[in-house]
Amino acid sequence: MAVSPLIVHPTEGTLLPSRPLSSPLKRQQQATHSAVASSNGTPALARPPGQDLQAGLGMSLDLVEQMNEDEKRKYVKGRKLGEGTYANVYLGHARHDPAVRVAIKKIKVQKEFRDGLAPDAVRELKHLQELHHPNIINLLSVFSSKDQNLNLVLEYLPLGDLEELIRDVDHVRYGAADIKAWMGMLTRAVWFCHDNCVLHRDIKPNNLLIAADGEVKLADFGLARSFADPGRKMTANVITRWYRPPELLFGARHYSGAVDVWSVGLVFAELVIRAPFLPGNSEVEQIALICRQIGTPTDDNWPGVTQLKEYTVPSDVTPVWDKSAYMGRFGAVGAEGVDLLMRTLALDPRKRITAREMLEHRWWRTEPRPTRKEELPRKQDGGEDKMGSDLKRRNGVVEDENNNNARGAKVARKLDFGATK
Amino acid sequence: MATEDARYRQSSQFRLWSFSPSQLGAMREKANLLARASISERLLSAPRSNSASAPTSNANTPDADGTSTLPEFLTPSEEALLVTFYTSELLRAGDHAEMADEIKATAAAFFRRFYITNSIMTYPPQEMLIVALFFGCKAEGSFPRITDFVKNFGRESPEEVLAGEFLLCQGIRFAFDVKHPFRALRGAVMDLRRIGDIEHTRIDSAERRAREILRFSPLITDAYFHYTPSQIMLAALSLADRGLAERLIQETFHFVHPQPNSGAGTPMATDTPSASSLPDSDIATIIGPVIRDKVLGTVEACRDMLSKEPPERREHWSSKVTYKAQLQPIRKKLNKCRDPDRWNLVELQRSRREQVLNKSGGGSDDGGSAAGPAGPSKDDDVFGGDIKRRKVAKGAMDDPFGGAL
Repeated sequence: MAVSPLIVHPTEGTLLPSRPLSSPLKRQQQATHSAVASSNGTPALARPPGQDLQAGLGMSLDLVEQMNEDEKRKYVKGRKLGEGTYANVYLGHARHDPAVRVAIKKIKVQKEFRDGLAPDAVRELKHLQELHHPNIINLLSVFSSKDQNLNLVLEYLPLGDLEELIRDVDHVRYGAADIKAWMGMLTRAVWFCHDNCVLHRDIKPNNLLIAADGEVKLADFGLARSFADPGRKMTANVITRWYRPPELLFGARHYSGAVDVWSVGLVFAELVIRAPFLPGNSEVEQIALICRQIGTPTDDNWPGVTQLKEYTVPSDVTPVWDKSAYMGRFGAVGAEGVDLLMRTLALDPRKRITAREMLEHRWWRTEPRPTRKEELPRKQDGGEDKMGSDLKRRNGVVEDENNNNARGAKVARKLDFGATK
Repeated sequence: MATEDARYRQSSQFRLWSFSPSQLGAMREKANLLARASISERLLSAPRSNSASAPTSNANTPDADGTSTLPEFLTPSEEALLVTFYTSELLRAGDHAEMADEIKATAAAFFRRFYITNSIMTYPPQEMLIVALFFGCKAEGSFPRITDFVKNFGRESPEEVLAGEFLLCQGIRFAFDVKHPFRALRGAVMDLRRIGDIEHTRIDSAERRAREILRFSPLITDAYFHYTPSQIMLAALSLADRGLAERLIQETFHFVHPQPNSGAGTPMATDTPSASSLPDSDIATIIGPVIRDKVLGTVEACRDMLSKEPPERREHWSSKVTYKAQLQPIRKKLNKCRDPDRWNLVELQRSRREQVLNKSGGGSDDGGSAAGPAGPSKDDDVFGGDIKRRKVAKGAMDDPFGGAL
């Protein structure tokens, strides 16, 4: 959306003088916007320079380093929750108040990535610094350790993720009101990203973490990016396969928030049937599944789709499934719920419902009302360790915008459809 | 979170990187003072024989008998002049490498942000500007190979750029999102076209000129620190065609009570969801004459700032005459007063890493343990959790403040 001058609102004129900030240190303390007060920040300038110096090395701290040091000291790092190739995750708490628990995600220096700070870390930090919303994981602070590893201090989300709840059929029972509550929180998160011109590009149940009070939080922004200006090329190789929309499977190089909405639709379907709706083992199979379970994309239901570079579909065309077919499988969420689901799974991204329109859908206002978050079903144990493994994971697909390595493999699959039958 | 204003106030650009002119001046002065103090300290305490990382320049070392003479330091205004000059160099380098406008603009913002809390006497600007361009690419979503990247600038070794990257990230407070006025300009052009009675050729030429201004003037001045992207856009548009900018502001801040049956206010005002969801009285305030005059005043002030560095000044900054007359003397001064420990980014990183290695020699409680007893790796943790070890490692040279607590 173009930022027009209409956006100029009253406070902008008074924007600067209204803030009584004087020093960068003070600013930093206010800006951490966390539950953690900077009670312990020792002002850098109060320290006599050189007092701490060891002759010869002379590694005293300058202003920025001191700010970093202060930030680091606000937290105490506890036991490790998880270890992965991309990051380790630790339990931690605020130094001033051990009751304030946090998760510290330490991003490792990646040995296989020789080009400095890795793309996942750049993307994740860039977007989490800007997005503050009850349904998006909150970045409380960032600091570096001396070995130049990045440490992201995140709010602590002890109740695991949505995938665990979905899968634990024996112990976790939930109904339409619970699904509506979870979907509401997910949809608000996605709407907020899109309203801030950010695509998440990896929405799936195990990136939806659950806070102590039951609130769902969208996490893992390692594949996120800002909306591209018209004409800019983007990579099609994002979003974990089962949740990847047809336009990306067909190699579209410019796309919109509709890609995330498709993923939201598949999370919705998965919540209902308690199993992944379209679990393709390969891209070929993923396309075949979409064709079989939703309908074959054709120029009739999606004008222009055959022009997409990687467009290939099985030869037996399946018509797009109608509402009664969906009612059979997803009727548990009622007719309105099914209507919403079908709109999120529209093959043509231009006809797919937007996140904003989703929020305006009638389903939210029909019975049953969504469950209050405190009363949602939850897992009884193991949440701590789950957050560790959720955060340390590498993203489903990692590839930068300019890299075309995956293209060859996609071309190859064109020869391969027969095998999936 | 109703209004876009509220949204903007959540951005790191506002939270961390917006200042009044006096705040900005104070911060720069503080960075200058701090650099003087620590450079003096380092020069005085470092024996000239074994300071491996000291620059080759001998002008800043103590006399043979030890009675030290400190060099003359740069003043804050000299530093500011150099930062401006090197910002222009950054933009030139970005042009040379044919980078996108957003990347150059983001890199310029990073560079200027970095030198608010860091003195130009501490870290080398001609290196940091390349680092800023490299990281600007990444922040804007393109991830070049470092070896290809440095070739653009006739360099063989990526070491310096990589050594400076983390330093830059820390200096910009890990805030990688910079909001620019380019999209605002596109929006303004659409709004102007919609008004209907303005010739398109006039709009087009104003857009071209405004874009040219946005690609230079706000980037080389402090505009990004003081003004929002839309204010900067309006100021640039005003420099390009004052009539159009004023028209746009008049049309925007023009409240007409909606007719009961038409529901339309001004054609443009009805398009904003944030405005239309508010009661009429609020809208009347927001787009009323008081705010309009305030916006006009702010845009005028921003216009003044941009007009000091019009795009034609690119030649001024790149000319040899300017360099000789204004910059060379300061550069010479800088060569004598620069930081002996930090000027060489590669050395700095190496010595830091060595410190980490020395320090965590006893093994670490995480990361390293997984790697077995082979000794600490770069991934070893060096904070939190290891309080005990800190206490044992007395006199750890790299941790001047001792262990945690």
